Amino acid sequence: MDDRIVEFAGLLRRSGVRVSTAETLDALRAVGTTGIGHRGTFKIALRTAMVKRSSDVPIYDELFDVFFSGVGQVVRAAGEAGAAAQPLSQEELQDLLQKLAELLKNTDLDISELARALAMQDAGEMERILRELMESGKLPRTETNYVPPGANRQMMEMLGAADIGSDFDQILDLAREQGDSEEEIDRLRRYLERRRKELDDMLKGLLRLDKDQQHRQEDRQKDRERLLEKSFYYLSPTEIRQMRDAVASLARRLKNVMAVRFRQTKRGRLDVSETIRRSMEFGGVPFRIRWDDRRKERPQVIVLCDVSDSVRNVSRFMLQFVHSLQDMYSRVRSYVFVADLAEVTRLFKDNDIQSAIQKAINGDVVNVYAHSDFGKAFTQFHRDHIEAVDSRTTVLILGDARNNYNAPQEWVLREIKERAKQVIWLNPENQSTWGFGDSEMNLYGKSCDFVEECRNLRQLYKVVDLLIAK
Amino acid sequence: MVSPDAAFDSISDVRKRLAEQNYICDDNIATVVYLATRLGKPLLVEGPAGVGKTELAKVIAAGLGAKLIRMQCYEGIDEAKALYEWEYAKQLLYTQVLKEKISEVTSGAASLSEAVDRITAQDDVFFSNRFILPRPLLQAIQSETRSVLLIDEIDKADAEFEAFLLEILSDFQVTVPEIGTIEAIHIPIVLLTSNNAREMSDALKRRCLHLYIDFPSSDLELEIIRLKVPEASEALAQDVAALIQAMRKLDMKKKPSISETLDWAKALVIMNAKGLGDEIVRNTLSTIAKYEGDLRKTEKELATFLERRKAELKAKEAAAAAAPAEPTDGSDLLH
Repeated sequence: MDDRIVEFAGLLRRSGVRVSTAETLDALRAVGTTGIGHRGTFKIALRTAMVKRSSDVPIYDELFDVFFSGVGQVVRAAGEAGAAAQPLSQEELQDLLQKLAELLKNTDLDISELARALAMQDAGEMERILRELMESGKLPRTETNYVPPGANRQMMEMLGAADIGSDFDQILDLAREQGDSEEEIDRLRRYLERRRKELDDMLKGLLRLDKDQQHRQEDRQKDRERLLEKSFYYLSPTEIRQMRDAVASLARRLKNVMAVRFRQTKRGRLDVSETIRRSMEFGGVPFRIRWDDRRKERPQVIVLCDVSDSVRNVSRFMLQFVHSLQDMYSRVRSYVFVADLAEVTRLFKDNDIQSAIQKAINGDVVNVYAHSDFGKAFTQFHRDHIEAVDSRTTVLILGDARNNYNAPQEWVLREIKERAKQVIWLNPENQSTWGFGDSEMNLYGKSCDFVEECRNLRQLYKVVDLLIAK
Repeated sequence: MVSPDAAFDSISDVRKRLAEQNYICDDNIATVVYLATRLGKPLLVEGPAGVGKTELAKVIAAGLGAKLIRMQCYEGIDEAKALYEWEYAKQLLYTQVLKEKISEVTSGAASLSEAVDRITAQDDVFFSNRFILPRPLLQAIQSETRSVLLIDEIDKADAEFEAFLLEILSDFQVTVPEIGTIEAIHIPIVLLTSNNAREMSDALKRRCLHLYIDFPSSDLELEIIRLKVPEASEALAQDVAALIQAMRKLDMKKKPSISETLDWAKALVIMNAKGLGDEIVRNTLSTIAKYEGDLRKTEKELATFLERRKAELKAKEAAAAAAPAEPTDGSDLLH
């Protein structure tokens, strides 16, 4: 059993659950304490020792079921199907098995373990043999549900039972030698043939199980990778949900980092008067030294998000991200635009974050069906809100800079840059297309401190680093 | 290592003893608690606020008849608050009071350095157990009997404190430079709770067993209401449980927890509400919804719940009218 648990830990690891060696040892001790008699308890004992993140629990549950019952189920299912197709009565079967047991005791018989277990319907032994085969990791792989013709033969060879037919013939010969009647031998032969068919079913089931496990592992790995790389343009609703969680956890992680950073820089100079006052408690001896708290300037952020159809998804995550981090900044102001520009900061104050985003990008505040006009949006921003930009402000602009050949009005951006601490432009388009057609990216880019491509989560991570670097 | 006087015998023993303390737990909680006490490993309990994480530590202590030592974490908690502190004021007071004795010791010293030597020879007096102020961690380690140490809301503490805690939790010994190393007489049962305000470090998670307590299932919640608010009528308890379960599915800023369920049930009993249809019920919703937006959502949910009940009742009445059998009981509880 210990080996099984260690293997299971390996499987968890490959599926993205972090399980250390110490935790595996804990799991062994835990199982040693509770015993393995009760399946539910066993499952809880392993989980409490190995899975420390509640988000990993669904993966654990799934793998546990596949790993600890899969093979047994395959054997049992094939056995039950075999028993149903069985023409013999219960007593006849008992007789037959008894006779077989006698025959198999004969030491001259040179047949494989598998043949023995199969003939005697020893489900436990069958499970052990098949499990070993499966865990060797060398099962033939197929991409479809179709079992290739050679697979069966290949597996039989791996089991060391390629000639199970002749093994069974040996048993029949032995029975003949012992003077059994033709009728009895015939019955035995038919019984053994049925067992072979059951074995075929088991092997097929095993292949399917192996493929399932394999796929699940790969899927999960791919899911994670894909989500990082996948362009925001092409997200399905489920992926949007997953991405939302990913962005939320990114924000949380960042908050931790920032919190530590703030604390570390918090301690300022010696506070003389407070130290002397405190020392009165100890007869004038300055046991406790007091320090000034240094107030660190928290940055301000202004976000300008293009919410036209082409970049809406990126805007969604950027808004979510910036607003999840609100307490990291002294102030976050957000604006959305297509051709007209509107401030949505209040939306985020009055609503929870997801519904605020919905409202901001769904056309409630600006007409999202207009043609993008960055120039017009910029002049509006200059007219109404330029005062909001000062030397502590980071201005974050998100858009593809596709201006539909309108006047670019890049002077606004120049002025913003003069006033602001930094201007960052995130473009969700592939960098190679910038500047072609109606893209004004190169023109706008001149007035920005950074221009970054931001098409997927991985690139968003990078941008985040830029945002907190200073 | 584990003292036999304070341990659970089996998983069912856990459940029995906790039930005696009015704490109903499922297989998951019982098994994990049993393992944690048996293996002598700290237990990290996570879950949304108000599902009974702190309560669990209390009932374990009560169930085992062990002493509960509680340490509340907060931002900025440090060793002095968690482990031990020298009582400066007391030390100072003693030196003042013992001035004469001290001058006796130093009298006749030929030089200043000799006087200092003589005092140094005595300084053990001032750095001894007498002047040490044990904080929760040291208390738990020094405890004569096996104690339950509750480290509450560990996620509020800083990452540095977490690292310091790790050291204590792996060795259960504390070194005080002036006194020496104090080893635990009994390894305490340690429970750490976290609301996941921040992710705990992997190092800490590795050393602990892990338990996630979620909102209870509908049946469990009903059982808890019956146990903790016995004054509530069966019909009311069922309605409360059903409605709270429905509300947790809403997109609320703060979902109602068990403690809020119980508060609400108690409030309804005090207000003498017969059923959820009463007008007063709406006024008590503030016990479960703590935000303006949430309150609006719960009100809406309550309305649809009552609507549904009415429809059900009507269907039932219609059925009863079609086949006049037993009277529909409990119908007077609803409008």
